Amino acid sequence: MVKILKPVLTTAVAICSISATQMSFAESPTVKTIQDRDTMLCSGHNGSYFGFVEVNDKNEWKGLDIDICHAVTTAILGDPSKAKIIPLSWAQRFPALQSGDVDIIIKATGWTMGRDTELGLQFSMPYFFGGTQMMAKAELGVTEAKDLEGGTICVEAGTTNERLIADKMATLGVDYNIVSYEKNSEVMAAYQSGRCDAFGGWGPSLAVLRSSQMGNPNDNVILSDTLSNEPIAAAMRQGDEGFVDTVNWTLAALLLAEEHGITQANVDDMAANPTNPTVARLLGSTPGIGERLNLRETWAKDVIKAVGNFSEIYERNLGMNSPYKLERGLNNLWSHGGLLYAPILD
Amino acid sequence: MSTRTHSALAHKSTFNVITKRLLHFLKTRAFFSKTDSIISLCFFTALFVIIYTILSWAIFDAVWTKENVAQCQDAVGACWSVIDARYRLIMFGLYPYDLHWRPSLACLTIVSTIILSCLPKLWEAKRLSLLWLVGFTTFFLLMEGSLLGLKQVTTDQWGGLALTLFLFASVVLVGMPMGLGLALARRSKLPLIRYGASIFIDLIRSLPLLTTLFIAAVVMPIVLPDWMTGDKIWRVIIAFSLFFACYQAEVFRGGFQAIPKGQFEAGDALGLSYFQILSHIIMPQVFRHSLPGTINMVVITFKETAIVIIIGFFDVLASANAAFGSGEWAPYYMEVYAFVALIYWSFIFSLSQYGAYLKKRMRIAIH
Repeated sequence: MVKILKPVLTTAVAICSISATQMSFAESPTVKTIQDRDTMLCSGHNGSYFGFVEVNDKNEWKGLDIDICHAVTTAILGDPSKAKIIPLSWAQRFPALQSGDVDIIIKATGWTMGRDTELGLQFSMPYFFGGTQMMAKAELGVTEAKDLEGGTICVEAGTTNERLIADKMATLGVDYNIVSYEKNSEVMAAYQSGRCDAFGGWGPSLAVLRSSQMGNPNDNVILSDTLSNEPIAAAMRQGDEGFVDTVNWTLAALLLAEEHGITQANVDDMAANPTNPTVARLLGSTPGIGERLNLRETWAKDVIKAVGNFSEIYERNLGMNSPYKLERGLNNLWSHGGLLYAPILD
Repeated sequence: MSTRTHSALAHKSTFNVITKRLLHFLKTRAFFSKTDSIISLCFFTALFVIIYTILSWAIFDAVWTKENVAQCQDAVGACWSVIDARYRLIMFGLYPYDLHWRPSLACLTIVSTIILSCLPKLWEAKRLSLLWLVGFTTFFLLMEGSLLGLKQVTTDQWGGLALTLFLFASVVLVGMPMGLGLALARRSKLPLIRYGASIFIDLIRSLPLLTTLFIAAVVMPIVLPDWMTGDKIWRVIIAFSLFFACYQAEVFRGGFQAIPKGQFEAGDALGLSYFQILSHIIMPQVFRHSLPGTINMVVITFKETAIVIIIGFFDVLASANAAFGSGEWAPYYMEVYAFVALIYWSFIFSLSQYGAYLKKRMRIAIH
């Protein structure tokens, strides 16, 4: 019985998969659900995560991750206000995605193998890079990790930062003491009271703390060593390639727009008078970009009109137009010494 | 006119009594001997310094309005500008900004329901339950809106103090009768019900609240079929109420055990039915005996609602976190926490004062 069943099943699966590949470009059940519901469900935070997920004075969500969610929502539904942000804690985000409470997690989430395989997730291409770094008091005159000989470093207990710092210091052969605390605020209080010489954590968080919570930013320096580099990406449920394509190409559109100088302000002019063929394809002046994703021809144009290009999103939330004034660094386009690049729009 | 002078006189005399007592205390206790005087002086100086430091931080050197936020950088005192700018976030969380009159009115309703239920006139099972039903329904209808023909605001947008009050009120409202039912079931003559109730109580009590809530909020929608999952907030309220009920059942059980068996037998001898014995003889005494424990449970529940932050609810603590969680307000987290502490304190202090008042009234009822 089993012997007969197996070939029959294999054939059935094979036929199904052939017919699936012959279907139109990107038929995505998730996108279909979002369109039927006319609402996109994104992850928020139970509180605030500086620069990425915050709430403004009008009780509305803002931040880099929120803007990315608005971009994807605009691509699919044409209107950023159709995004519904569901507050989620860190521990809750993956179960909430699996149970369908949200369609996507855009929440400073690192792309790891465990999440990609065991948790059954699928990641978009990275849209942000940040790694473990250390911050020290400027008066100590340290600029890199090996200057911390004999010093005390404070970290949050049980994080990857703790292990990465231990590895790094062992490699450098530097003598040091590590003090770990349960909560990030305790680490910061310990650092400010002089209990420790340096403070290890996620680079962007350190930069935000340095610029907004520690008095004069020049009193503290972020050491040049980057101990790890974590790619931050959007997480989706496994098995919906069409949705991953949609998210990836939304991110690509934001990067391509920056590369070609398309901004929120000039997008209409650029669509009317495209400066080169890529711009014409991106903004739908030359048709094709919509049909391939089963979306509107103007989806990329709508996205840029709604949230701006990647540079505008970054500067508004973390960069020079925000209270944090973070340099773009690794999060610049490849052509400006960063790690971000868009795939080719042919 | 005469009553006013009378009350003024009474006021004056109480004032005199207090000063007399204070002087007496200072003479006989604080400055009785040399050692006493030295210790007292040190203590009073320390007390004065502490109070002065707090006051000068919170009031004298503070910056008050959001327009003056620039002064905060140099101010040595508190920067209340953050509260001025963000109090609506702390109060109402993510509720749409233009519709804030609705949660304001809703919170007012629930607070006045609480105050009204303090009036002895309304102390009757029927009136009290009617009052709470009306108050609670009004709160829900105002917040949700669609049934009143207003713009619908789904529960995932509720937040801040309004959400904390809603969770607290519904947990106590659902949990209290459930607790009473469980306590009665535990005293049942039928072994199946008796053992069932005690196993259930022990099961829920052996799980931490956080686990219970996490299962209700996160695991249930994965396990249950779609049509059974419902809104997250209701799943959490039911789970929280079960937790509350199991503890409250034990508080009631303590009340039951304080009543001598003879009273049941006397009721039986008079030919009263089970429910008549319960409602006329036993329950009034049970309530009286279990009052301190009940007030304790209610206070704990009010504070424990803060746990829902872990399962992604935007309660008053989460929205406080969001209030200072943006670049321009980040340095002023102390002020925000102080404000939230004041909110919690005023609610819990009033609750325990109410408890003390109830106890006093009930003592009068005995004699």
